[in-house]
Amino acid sequence: MKEVFWNSIAEYNAATWPWQIALTAVAAVIAVILWFRPSPWAKTAMKVYMVAVSLWIAFVYYMAYGSVRDYSNVMTIFWCLIALSWLYDLATGFSTFQRSGKSEVLGIIMLVLPLAYPFISVSRGLVFPQITTPMLPSSVALYMLGMLMTFNKKINFFAFILILHWSVIDISKIGIFDIPEDSLLAIACIPSMVIFFLQALRACDTDYKPSYKSIKILIIAVALILAGSMAIA
Amino acid sequence: MTQKNVTGIADFIARYLSYMLGAGVHTSRVVRNSKRIGSALGVGVSIHTSQKTATLTVSDAEDGIKDTRVIDIPAFPISFEWNADLSALSWAAHDRQMTLEEIESRFDEIVARPKMNPIFVLFMASLANASFCRLFGGDIWAMLITFTATMIGFFTRQHLTRKKVNHYIVFIVSAFVASICASTALALGIETAEIALATSVLYLVPGVPLINGLIDITDGHIQIGISRLVNAFMLIICIAIGMSVTLMLVKDSLL
Repeated sequence: MKEVFWNSIAEYNAATWPWQIALTAVAAVIAVILWFRPSPWAKTAMKVYMVAVSLWIAFVYYMAYGSVRDYSNVMTIFWCLIALSWLYDLATGFSTFQRSGKSEVLGIIMLVLPLAYPFISVSRGLVFPQITTPMLPSSVALYMLGMLMTFNKKINFFAFILILHWSVIDISKIGIFDIPEDSLLAIACIPSMVIFFLQALRACDTDYKPSYKSIKILIIAVALILAGSMAIA
Repeated sequence: MTQKNVTGIADFIARYLSYMLGAGVHTSRVVRNSKRIGSALGVGVSIHTSQKTATLTVSDAEDGIKDTRVIDIPAFPISFEWNADLSALSWAAHDRQMTLEEIESRFDEIVARPKMNPIFVLFMASLANASFCRLFGGDIWAMLITFTATMIGFFTRQHLTRKKVNHYIVFIVSAFVASICASTALALGIETAEIALATSVLYLVPGVPLINGLIDITDGHIQIGISRLVNAFMLIICIAIGMSVTLMLVKDSLL
């Protein structure tokens, strides 16, 4: 199972590396434009990019090169769901990709971390094409999480919980497929979960129960359980 | 007693029973509590209930005054708190001989209390499903995947409900989304992946309508009992449709 996993990554990298570089460059350019010159077209472009990159992972990574793995069609459908969440956001204009001034440093770190994937692979003795790259599902999910964290005034919450689910899958993959690079996303998802849920909690304009403090404790406790599971992995 | 008094009592009892039926209280309790309040205020109460409406007659036997009305039953979220507190209110009205104004004031206070925070409900439902997964033999990974799959499904349900989408469609879509997310456990080769898949939709099971339907039938409220059971079975069919789509896509069969 592990061998099939790494062989499919090698085939994917060998065949698509120019495309991967192009997609990574586009991601970097749109993120920089959004940071320095945010405009409606840049926000739309980012959402279109999110849809495109999700479909890339679904159809190119999983369907074309990962089809030798068991149940790869499930992952294709799951990444289509992520694409759908961004498409829905594009149609409804729900998230604004605006900076709130909070957690920006964390967001930028998350945005840069996908670039560290190939370096970590090489540092542990792997050789191209059998290495992780910024255009693998986990690194793409980490980029999405970074975008949500950096521009977090009003986020696409549906995309966020899908990425959270992916992070849980990621945690289990670390041991099963011997891919420690994935711990980057797993580590990033814990603070993101706390920050985004508390942000959503603060945004509730109606009087609800239980108290803010009680729900905050619950969210932190669940985040700690997730972190504990990660430590076990 | 004047017609105005009887109308005032009928107004209140109409509101009281519509809130209780709407919040998922079984019929015999609603009827019993309404009659108790009527008795405390010195009037007789007769009620006929159906799934969407109720017919209420409040009568003062001494003066021969009656007030009859048909009430729409609103669809509130299931509330055990309203169930308990509004039942206690009927006993308080009976035991302390409260006036109509006092009962109304207490009622308004109970129904105006803050609702459960949707994020809290989202977390608790996800934790409950993860616990079910464990009870059915799932391992830690299956539990975690069930937790987040339920969170996605439940969030979808909350969002579509806010958008006022037909609730049968909400159930089909939510069951599909939760089960397709849980099925990612299959790709990881987790031994208990199928338990995660099966338990990811349990948050949708309409337990309260099923129990209320049975209680209503055994208490002799056959019509509303059957209505509630049919409604519950329709929702179960919707869950089955959502999950079947996942199984057909993922496993290429329903078994």
